[in-house]
Amino acid sequence: MGSVGIIVNPWAGKDVRRLHAPVGHTPDTAKIGIVRRVILGALDVGAERVHVARDVGRIAERAAKAIDRAVLVDGPGTGSALDTRRAAAQMAELGCAAVAVLGGDGTSRDVTMGWRDAPIIPISTGTNNVFPGFVDGSSAGTAAGLVASGAVALADAGRRAKLLTADIALPGGDRIQDIALVDMALIAEQGTGARAVVRSDLIRLVVAALAVPASTGLSAIAGRTSPVAADEEGGVVVRLGGEGRRVRVPIVPGSFDVLPIASIDRLADGGSITVEGPGVLAYDGERDRVLPAGSTATITVARTGPFVIDVARTLRAAADHHLFDVAPGDSTAATRTEAHHGH
Amino acid sequence: MSDRTLTYGQAFSEAIRLEMEADPNVFIAGEDVGAHGGVFHTFDGVQSEFGERRAVDTPISEQAIIGLGVGAAVTGLRPIVDLMFMDFSLVAADQIVNQAAKLKYMFGGEAKLPMVITTHGGAGLSAAAQHSQSLEALFCHIPGLQVVFPSNAYDVKGLMASAILEDNPVLFVLHKRMLGLKGPVPEGRYTVPLGQAMVTREGSDVTVVSWGRTHNEALAAAETLAGEGVQVEVIDLRTLSPLDTATVVASVKKTNRVVVAHEAVRFGGFGAEVAAQIQEEAFDYLDAPVGRVGAPFSPVPFTPALENLYVPDAARIAESVRAALARPLLG
Amino acid sequence: MELTPAQQLAMHKSMVRIRLFEEAAGKLMETGQMPGFLHLYVGQEAVAVGVCEALRVDDYITSTHRGHGHLVAKGGDLAKMMAELMGKATGYCGGKGGSMHINDLSLGMLGANGIVGAGVPIAVGAGFRNKYLGSDQVAVAFFGDASTNIGAFHEAANMACALHLPVVFVCEHNMYGEYTPTEKAMAIADVVDRAAGYGMPGVIVDGMDVLAVHEATLEAVARARRGEGPALVEAKTYRFYNHHGIQTLGVKYRPDAEVIAWKERDPIFTFEDRLVEGGVASRDQIEEQWAQVRADIAAAIEFAENSPYPEPSALLAGVYTAGGAK
Repeated sequence: MGSVGIIVNPWAGKDVRRLHAPVGHTPDTAKIGIVRRVILGALDVGAERVHVARDVGRIAERAAKAIDRAVLVDGPGTGSALDTRRAAAQMAELGCAAVAVLGGDGTSRDVTMGWRDAPIIPISTGTNNVFPGFVDGSSAGTAAGLVASGAVALADAGRRAKLLTADIALPGGDRIQDIALVDMALIAEQGTGARAVVRSDLIRLVVAALAVPASTGLSAIAGRTSPVAADEEGGVVVRLGGEGRRVRVPIVPGSFDVLPIASIDRLADGGSITVEGPGVLAYDGERDRVLPAGSTATITVARTGPFVIDVARTLRAAADHHLFDVAPGDSTAATRTEAHHGH
Repeated sequence: MSDRTLTYGQAFSEAIRLEMEADPNVFIAGEDVGAHGGVFHTFDGVQSEFGERRAVDTPISEQAIIGLGVGAAVTGLRPIVDLMFMDFSLVAADQIVNQAAKLKYMFGGEAKLPMVITTHGGAGLSAAAQHSQSLEALFCHIPGLQVVFPSNAYDVKGLMASAILEDNPVLFVLHKRMLGLKGPVPEGRYTVPLGQAMVTREGSDVTVVSWGRTHNEALAAAETLAGEGVQVEVIDLRTLSPLDTATVVASVKKTNRVVVAHEAVRFGGFGAEVAAQIQEEAFDYLDAPVGRVGAPFSPVPFTPALENLYVPDAARIAESVRAALARPLLG
Repeated sequence: MELTPAQQLAMHKSMVRIRLFEEAAGKLMETGQMPGFLHLYVGQEAVAVGVCEALRVDDYITSTHRGHGHLVAKGGDLAKMMAELMGKATGYCGGKGGSMHINDLSLGMLGANGIVGAGVPIAVGAGFRNKYLGSDQVAVAFFGDASTNIGAFHEAANMACALHLPVVFVCEHNMYGEYTPTEKAMAIADVVDRAAGYGMPGVIVDGMDVLAVHEATLEAVARARRGEGPALVEAKTYRFYNHHGIQTLGVKYRPDAEVIAWKERDPIFTFEDRLVEGGVASRDQIEEQWAQVRADIAAAIEFAENSPYPEPSALLAGVYTAGGAK
């Protein structure tokens, strides 16, 4: 019997994109509901315990209220990505068999930074995400619970994701390693500003591990020219500029830009490409790392990312094996596991 | 004076329309003042003449309505913001008392707040305790505000024009029982200056100081008393703040006896301030204590059976005048 | 957005002006040279500067009881501010307003405000004026998280949206309403969760990051200028000092560790690191800015100290404006 972890990015779905684009706001009430459904779904199929990482938005605290086997995990409470990374490391120490991650592409990346081998169920609560999907909280909880209880083997529940790694060499000789799950892009800006990439004319190059045509953002640039799916190996490098081919791409939800494509190159599994500063590297759509003049970043794609539990596949496996059936004569089975758990 | 007559309410909207015509920075905003013309129709015709831009229907948000006025006035417009019932001024008390009234002073005199807060006060419509009050004393107590409470159509138009042209916040109170009262009102623009009381009936025996609807009751009382051989001088204060003490004192020095009558609760009412001013300025001229007529110390009742008892009328004013006259001279 | 090095240095200097002005005022209060209340803005500099840098001089702002930073960021005169805080005749309000009513109408700064939430409806009035006159000026209301629990905020936010006015609502969420943690005062954690209830977009931005605040505000302001109505920007920030006065650590209502953790994210020092790392400025240039501001503050204090108190005749001046439009 194992336990499930839940990590929430409290501010996903509330960032500056709402000023640039016709996208909605994800209120806490929605996130609290998802977290609570994940908890209840996991406990319903036999997870022993659900560890919920505290967040500065107090979503975990409100969602776990009065559920005995939902345990809050304290964190640094900085209101930054550090909270997510620390929570992931704590989930590893607690031996969580599956971790539901609520947020966007960046949230799953932060979890990966805290726990490289995290078995995660990424759940989108934000805008134009590629890595997490829109997953029902109850089903996600059930999938996590099935894995945690050992009813469905991890190997049958999903597969390891791809990972982009940037090895950065700064002019002074310092070296930094960053990661991304969807794409890395070189942006001709000086700073990270409000982080979201909204100006398509400043994008110079995109390296995508996931190049999804039916998406919005940087991944769509590669997706609409040279798609690469999650189960395909390697990635693609798209350089922008020049007078040649031009394609339509939604960079911001609801805005369709025409972008010049200079070149498209496939990147084999384990392959890499080196870019040079100055500029800013955006990871999974958010400006993150300032690359000063004279620095380089070598970006590699490989299947070394977190293990992603596929909710549909996990529940299908459980159904195929009649794992939802109640044994005849099991008088201990309640007719309903109450949503209002506890006391 | 003009042959033309208008109601008290019509005189009000005519003043607004004429001033809006004269100054593009004048506008009205408040609950139902636009399409509906105000719940008492005192803004009738403003939106049809000036459009939605200048006659703005707002949410039922008294604080924000006054805040809208403060923000617009301090940035150069001349707002007229309406609070419908005077009782609702308490919902907006912070914006009126802490913001509108004090901004200029707090800012070292730099700010200018040309705004008029209009509202409908007074009892007599069985509107009960939250829609019938006369709260003028509260606002007269606040430095930075001016308070106007007219008693007839002519003054409504002239005082409202002055209020709109004034560079300070003015609380302009219409009495809702007088809205249909007709009186001569000249066409075209004119002003009645703020801060000037008016002797509306001359007399030599006793002075009655009043305002708003109670002033008209005072005139009726004076008529009754004339039949008893008493010559009552009646003063309509028209503007309560700033108070025209000089006109009152001059009259008291002539008559030596005075009654102050108002519809608001007597205890702590504005009549107390008028009485205090009189004793400070004309103590040696008084042959009797200053009489005060006002409502009893209770909320305004709903039923006409009690409301009629509550609201001071001509008979009670006459009674108070008789009491003042009955006081024998000493020495 | 592309900010030139000069603009970024100006933003840095503006934050330093706030920091040093406030610290100087705190010292003067401590030594009894400054009467009254003092609500210091230190820690929140990135919000005022990030927002005001996105505004024009003819845009309006309303402020709070913690308003010095807003006036400095809008271009306020440090000497007149210091004189006002000391109650001198040469101060912004002639010594009659003090810290909580400091303002500069010529800069569109419509006043700090002693009443929590009360500036918000006034900003709506300024926004109304802009729309009424067909101007593309905007009005920004600064307010704290605790203000959003007050009726005036609700009325103003609703009215601005209902009338579709060019108003930008900037919430400085500093985690405490005076001495009470926000979580005890409201059942939600983010003020932006309220924005949708009025029908406006709301975004959270890192209030310790001046560029992030600036970029978000630029867009909110641009929308308002284009006639697209109000927006709410919630800057997550922290005041380093106590609600009132100069105490930082050792207060009962918030843990020292929390204060220390937030101070590690100091909006000025983290910005300086970025300026240096990005090659925008050298450490020497940054130090030179501090030196310049220190000199400005010293001059402001000297001006204030040498200024006279108001004459007794000033007591009754300025209650009313003489004359009118007639």
